Amino acid sequence: MRSLILAAAAVLVPAVALAAEAPAAAGGSMVGPYSVLAAGFAMAIAAGLCGLGQGRAVASAVEAMARQPGAAARIQTAMIIGLALIESLAIYVLVVAMILLFVQPIK
Amino acid sequence: MGAIEHPPIFRLPGVPDHVLYTWIVMAILIGVSWMATRRVALVPRGVQNFVEVVLEQFIQMIDDVIGREGRRYLPFIGTLGLFILVCNLMGLVPGLMSPTGNLMTNGACAIIVFCAYHYIGVKKQGLVHYLKHFMGPVPALAPLMIPIEVISHLARPLSLTLRLFGNMTGGHILLAVIFFLMGLDGLIGWALSGSTAGTIVGGLGGLVMIVFTVGFLYPLKILVSFLQAFIFVMLTMLYIAGAMEGAEHDEHHAEPHTAHH
Repeated sequence: MRSLILAAAAVLVPAVALAAEAPAAAGGSMVGPYSVLAAGFAMAIAAGLCGLGQGRAVASAVEAMARQPGAAARIQTAMIIGLALIESLAIYVLVVAMILLFVQPIK
Repeated sequence: MGAIEHPPIFRLPGVPDHVLYTWIVMAILIGVSWMATRRVALVPRGVQNFVEVVLEQFIQMIDDVIGREGRRYLPFIGTLGLFILVCNLMGLVPGLMSPTGNLMTNGACAIIVFCAYHYIGVKKQGLVHYLKHFMGPVPALAPLMIPIEVISHLARPLSLTLRLFGNMTGGHILLAVIFFLMGLDGLIGWALSGSTAGTIVGGLGGLVMIVFTVGFLYPLKILVSFLQAFIFVMLTMLYIAGAMEGAEHDEHHAEPHTAHH
């Protein structure tokens, strides 16, 4: 675990220094490159947590369908709706990431 | 984004793209409806049969979620659902765009749903009675419940818009990147350029990506199109059911009075 943290720090610290130099020299603000970093990390975290949430939803649905096969169709409908609603949270993060990457409000 | 952007093929000079493709979707839906009702038969055949099957699915969903009195909203819900479905599917054809990949179309549909379910609720229960449901279960909690309810009701059209927009545009960007990687600027262009390394690696890579796109990405996008239209319609029906259901609480309140007398 410690070597992982050391490796991450060894990569990120020079990257931060390099990233801070480039736009300041070009005349932009110092926030620009970090927005790309933020977009990437945000989407990764959102996708991971969305996977966990959807996994729990499907697990409950499948267990309920195994317990009562007669109600399988209604459980499946509820499961599909639940999955789409959980996924929409990750889609909101995707929209913010797209704004940061393509609209670039802060250069 | 400039390298992978590809505007749609059909464009009109003064008209925004998403409006033009909305007109194309309208023409498709009106054409199918006209073909289905040309000679209405008691035992349906052909296009009428297909359209009746689709409408039966809508009626079943409405019966499940809203109840029998929700059937009067079938024209609204059916039009909304079929419009969003055909809009989504149009984005799959390379060269056309889907109007639901644009925030304006989704925002319009979401605002229509917002106004519709409030109007239905007010018409069924009366304005004062409908607003009383914003105050929550216990009137003492009203100062806490009203801001929460208002914000959650305002978040509904926003979430409808962004959910549909994110799904459609995310799929569009994914397809654009894949086409760019494997197209004439990428792997297949490298394969056709004549160098030996290009032919082997570019050919194999291009073939793998073509199989991946046609076999996995396109079915996934078709599934997402149907699913997102279904989710939009299901949420509309749930909001209408929520706006109409307040009246039932009062019928239950009235029962004990008549029972005692």
